[in-house]
Amino acid sequence: MTDLYLRDRWFEDLPVGEFHVFGSHTFSELEIVEFAKNFDPRPESTDPEQARLNHRQGLTASPWLLTAMWMRKMVDYMEVYAQGVNDGRRNGAGVAISDLQWLEPVRPGHTLTYTYEIIAKPGQVIREKWGMIRSRNEAFNQYGNKVMQFDIDILAERRPQESGDPQQ
Amino acid sequence: MASPSPNDYMESKSIELDQSAIAAFASQFDPQPYHLDASAADQSIFGGLCASGWHIAALATRLVIETLLANGLPFVEMSSVSWLKWSRPTFVNEQISVRVTLGTSDEESPIANTRCQTLEIEVCNGNGAIVATMTAKAAIAIDAALAEST
Repeated sequence: MTDLYLRDRWFEDLPVGEFHVFGSHTFSELEIVEFAKNFDPRPESTDPEQARLNHRQGLTASPWLLTAMWMRKMVDYMEVYAQGVNDGRRNGAGVAISDLQWLEPVRPGHTLTYTYEIIAKPGQVIREKWGMIRSRNEAFNQYGNKVMQFDIDILAERRPQESGDPQQ
Repeated sequence: MASPSPNDYMESKSIELDQSAIAAFASQFDPQPYHLDASAADQSIFGGLCASGWHIAALATRLVIETLLANGLPFVEMSSVSWLKWSRPTFVNEQISVRVTLGTSDEESPIANTRCQTLEIEVCNGNGAIVATMTAKAAIAIDAALAEST
């Protein structure tokens, strides 16, 4: 919690090529069903009995549960990755994603491990304060098979210009 | 691509996002202050309490599926999103709906008895402003029995 290296990271401090394995999660049947009921109601995700008869032959997670869990793991990791990001003023925002693919179904009991690599800093500056970070994100299941991938552009706060670093 | 005339797209019903709905998703999946804490959100990049972009993507997909089914297109599965852009936040008590335009694709669907359909999706708020755009590929059943079972 007192690691100055971690707390002082700004847009300028994030190098292309940086790679993180930032979280993993085992999806339960209840979680798959609850997510689908609330956000993406489809028989293959809400009804285990009916799901046995579909083309996947069993319950599978909504593809958006896999991205939602990516977000949760990323938020949890940001606390470690750059202290102070979570105060609401320094939080950036996702702008756009590209090439999002769901490659294999995720079933109850499957464990996904999420990875993140900075692949570009496209150079746009938004409202002076924000720079753009492009990352490639992948999720692998317990067999090591890639089940999801996407690239995302996220805004990261630039180092303040006039008064130098506000931290002592 | 020419901009579509109103007859070219299918339109969904609307979903309203109240504070509890926004918080229910965000507390579980995207617990950042601008989705959960009104005063922190006012100082944030969005300038107010708003829904997670992933919440919007999931709800938009739900609306797309309902719209395809209502128009006689037996949706089976969404397989990829080549592009998704969030243009503006969806604030508390705003509504979202989708407009779906069918694109063309000569790609083969990896799922038996389905075809690959490209979907151009606009997510709009209650004022008709675009909050997100998405280009997706979905498998659509070409076999009645498969359509029944999904």
